[in-house]
Amino acid sequence: MLDHFANRSTPAHRLDPAGKAVALLAVILATVLVTRDRFLPLVPVAVALAAYHAVSRTPIRYTLRRLALVSPLAVAVVVLFPFLEPGEAVWRWSVAGGEVVVTREGLVRAGYLLAKFVLCTWAALLLLATTRFQDLLQGLARLRVPRVFVTQLAILYRYLWVLMDEGMRMRMARAARDGGLGPWRLRLHSRAGVIGVLFLRSWDRAERIYRAMAARGFDGTLHALRHGRLRPADWIFSGSVLVASVALVLGERFLYG
Amino acid sequence: MAEPVVQLVDVRYRYPTGTQALDGVTLAVQPGERVALAGPNGAGKSTLVLAMAGFLRAEGTIRVAGHTLTPGSARDVRRHLGLVFQEAEDQLFMPRLGDDVAFGPATMGLAPEQVRTRVREALAAVGLAGCEDRVPYHLSVGEKRRAALATVLAMRPQILVLDEPSADLDPRGRRRLIDLLGGLEATLLVITHDLDLALETCERTVVVDAGRVVADGPTAEILADTALAAAHGLEVPQALAGQGGRHPAGAEPPPEPPP
Repeated sequence: MLDHFANRSTPAHRLDPAGKAVALLAVILATVLVTRDRFLPLVPVAVALAAYHAVSRTPIRYTLRRLALVSPLAVAVVVLFPFLEPGEAVWRWSVAGGEVVVTREGLVRAGYLLAKFVLCTWAALLLLATTRFQDLLQGLARLRVPRVFVTQLAILYRYLWVLMDEGMRMRMARAARDGGLGPWRLRLHSRAGVIGVLFLRSWDRAERIYRAMAARGFDGTLHALRHGRLRPADWIFSGSVLVASVALVLGERFLYG
Repeated sequence: MAEPVVQLVDVRYRYPTGTQALDGVTLAVQPGERVALAGPNGAGKSTLVLAMAGFLRAEGTIRVAGHTLTPGSARDVRRHLGLVFQEAEDQLFMPRLGDDVAFGPATMGLAPEQVRTRVREALAAVGLAGCEDRVPYHLSVGEKRRAALATVLAMRPQILVLDEPSADLDPRGRRRLIDLLGGLEATLLVITHDLDLALETCERTVVVDAGRVVADGPTAEILADTALAAAHGLEVPQALAGQGGRHPAGAEPPPEPPP
């Protein structure tokens, strides 16, 4: 599950979800806002995340595995930079009459963006690893995130696995009859069919869920029981993360201007 | 006689595809009655439930707990009509069981302390006491079914409507459900083609076929009518088929032999 380690109890887990969400936002903004071509300002961010990681006793494999899972997206974005950024050439190839150039500036840029991506994702993963999803949702609701989004996230979280199970069962049903063999054209056809049926079933399911909600008087808000209260530790944590983030961005501007 | 808690007069509904799912259903249920709504697949049982809750706009008159169903009063009707749907998975839509059971009472505007009490009581009533923190996705089929019932019980509706409550339950889960239903106070409308279940929980059975009420009477009598059952694709419980009735609902079970 997404929040597999969130049921532990460490100082990091006990922090208020809304406070943690604010801190995450600050860290991401700071990481994104520091200027383009220096690695040094990212070091304090990395150190802070590592410290949080250690306190929360999140297994390093959890973070690495999930980072690896989403990194293809970032790599796909970043992979063109070395070729497009003008600057000092590192490699040249002649291809079909033209020339492909990899530049030093482009490589640095790519590495830099990748580093920012890793830090932001790491921060988000740490939030998920130390906050139960339903607590996080309530935190978001308290932060006045529009309730449509909160409701959607809640339903998504609830039914993602159901949907995956359904897809899996259909795949098994298909494999049981074609053994994964058969002409590729037919396989592609049946795969498209699976996706289509999955879509229709989800539609039906959405309808049934809505009825179940309406039958219990749904009026647009997912009411829940627990309401958190910010403790001094929450104020100190979120406050210092905010201050540090602002200081990082301003300090970096001031020093390197 | 008191005013019926559910009153349907000539209710008709035709699906946009042209199927006449309800073809003039007239039915009255008195407060405290336990009624089984039996019939083959496609008889219109589930459609009737959706129409009663105002999810389908049917012709005819539908009165529930003193409210005549109109598009504007659907909310009031649903407040008194506790619907337990066939797909428990879809009824449990919150990421945490406690929140799911709390959903109805909280939406009714109860104070948090009251909501908590209701959640605790409802979960205890279905044998899931202390399971507030469990994740609905990880419950077993039988647990999901009982949890879905708890979400509705927490709202204390006047009428409980259960759509195929015993479908895909194993014998033990089914037995548990029957015992559970037997202990409930509310007016009960159980939609089922499980006639054993009907016999054990409901003193009255209404047989629906092709969108019409074809029989209505005491469960034991209805189920003893083999010709009726055969005509409408139902199977008479083994218990009744052989010796003309064992112990109909409401009667005491045979005394246990002394040890």
